[in-house]
This record gives sequence, structure tokens and C-alpha cells, in this order.
Amino acid sequence: MSREIGAARVLVPAGIRRGDVIDVRALVEHPMHTGLFRDPEGHPIAAHFINDVSVTYGDHEVAHFVWTSGLSRDPFVEFSLRADREAELRFIWKDNRDGVFQQSVDIRFVA
Amino acid sequence: MSGFSRRSLLHASGLAFLALAARRLAALGRPLRFDGVPWKVQQVLKQLFGEREIREGHVQLDVPTVAADGRVVPVMVESDLPMSGASFVRAVHVLVDNNPDIHLAEFRFTPEIGQAFVSTRIKMRMTSPVRAIVETSDGALWGTAADVRVTVNGCG
Repeated sequence: MSREIGAARVLVPAGIRRGDVIDVRALVEHPMHTGLFRDPEGHPIAAHFINDVSVTYGDHEVAHFVWTSGLSRDPFVEFSLRADREAELRFIWKDNRDGVFQQSVDIRFVA
Repeated sequence: MSGFSRRSLLHASGLAFLALAARRLAALGRPLRFDGVPWKVQQVLKQLFGEREIREGHVQLDVPTVAADGRVVPVMVESDLPMSGASFVRAVHVLVDNNPDIHLAEFRFTPEIGQAFVSTRIKMRMTSPVRAIVETSDGALWGTAADVRVTVNGCG
């Protein structure tokens, strides 16, 4: 199966004004294997999951998540952010096998 | 994805919420009772929070009553506590009693978030209570729980 582990999307609403509390949504493609199951041939599937997520807005870390393999496959998260400056919003996802995946979006205000 | 559905869900649950409001008001601030909490979960709570008391209130947890697919169970946690520099929600913890990893996720926030809210999707191995515990910058803990009935095992 051709799945691109680490392909990620970060979505913010259009038409942001300074001071808005916006919804941020992010999804990264990842199998999130628990390590508790076997493939159809009976071989154990090793644990492979995102366990650390860092969210920076400009030069501040505004959120940090600690996850287990209990998050669903292709883990999704939505939360709020006070858009008080024009800056890059960057997600860095790390998995338990030293995989590092990034995605960012620019927060810009409507004129 | 689910921006609109979240709002409509909140709207739809408004009436039910009102009906519960009086009861919740009575419960507000009362220490959560742990008589019925399994020992393994109490151990996890002790590890996370020591002897600190978890009180009822200020946390809204939205989970389905029945999850047809335990591989993808939507979870939303929201708090009306302030998100200002002086006082804010420092972390939202999600625990599932009957999962292999009971402390499923921790979402750490800063005041720059503006509002204590998080929505995600989790796996559930079997029917279980789901717990949401909010930790404030001054160390206070607020929690709630809801039962989710799982009809298809989700840890595969």
C-alpha cells in the first residue's frame, strides 16, 4: 500500500482579523501502530506512532502535545489560537522511531 | 473536517445541557468521587497529579454514547476557565480506563491559545469511561467523565 507517512496538512480559516480566536486543524498521515497486532501473514507489527507534537507561532511554542498509540491512525487535532500577529504557525510531529514531520501555514490578516 | 459540525453539535446539545445545568451547578466544585474508579486508573492519576484533588466542573467532554468503530472515536474537551497570562489552562489530559495506555494524551497549552478547547480522534479497545482532566497554571485540577460503549474493538 503506498501511503506517504508524514504527509501533513494544517488548516486555518480564511479572512482572519487581528485578535480573532481561530480554529486550527492539523492532520498528519501516520499508521499509529500500537505494537499489539499482527499483519495478515501473522508477523507482529512493531509499534510506530507519533508521540510528540510541537506547535510554534512565530518564535513562541504555543502548544505541545504528548501522545500515545491511542490516537487514531492519521492523527487529527483541532484547537484554538489567538491570532494576534502575522507569523508562521508550524507543527513538528515526532514519532517513536525518530521520524520528524513538519508542516506550516502563514497567519496573515485581511486588509 | 469538522468546524461546522462542532458548532452544530454544541447547538444541538444546548437543550440537554440546560436540563443538566441545575444538577451540574449543584455538583460544581465538589471533589470528584473515586469510589468506582478502578485501582489501575487511580494509580495513573496518582502518578500524574500526586495527592492533588480533582474537582467537578469547568470541563465539558463531548464523546459519543455509542461508538460503532472503536478505531475512530471523536473526543472534544472544552473549558470555560480563563486563558490569560495570570491564569490559564496549562494542560488537558485524556484518559481511557480500559485502554492499554490509560493516559492516552496530554495537550499542553499556553495563554496564546485564547480558549481552552481541543478536539481529536482516539482508539478504544472496548467499552470504557473516558476522562478529561484540565490542569490550570496554579495547579488546580478539574475533571469529568463519560461512558462510551464500543461495539467494534478499535486497537487493531
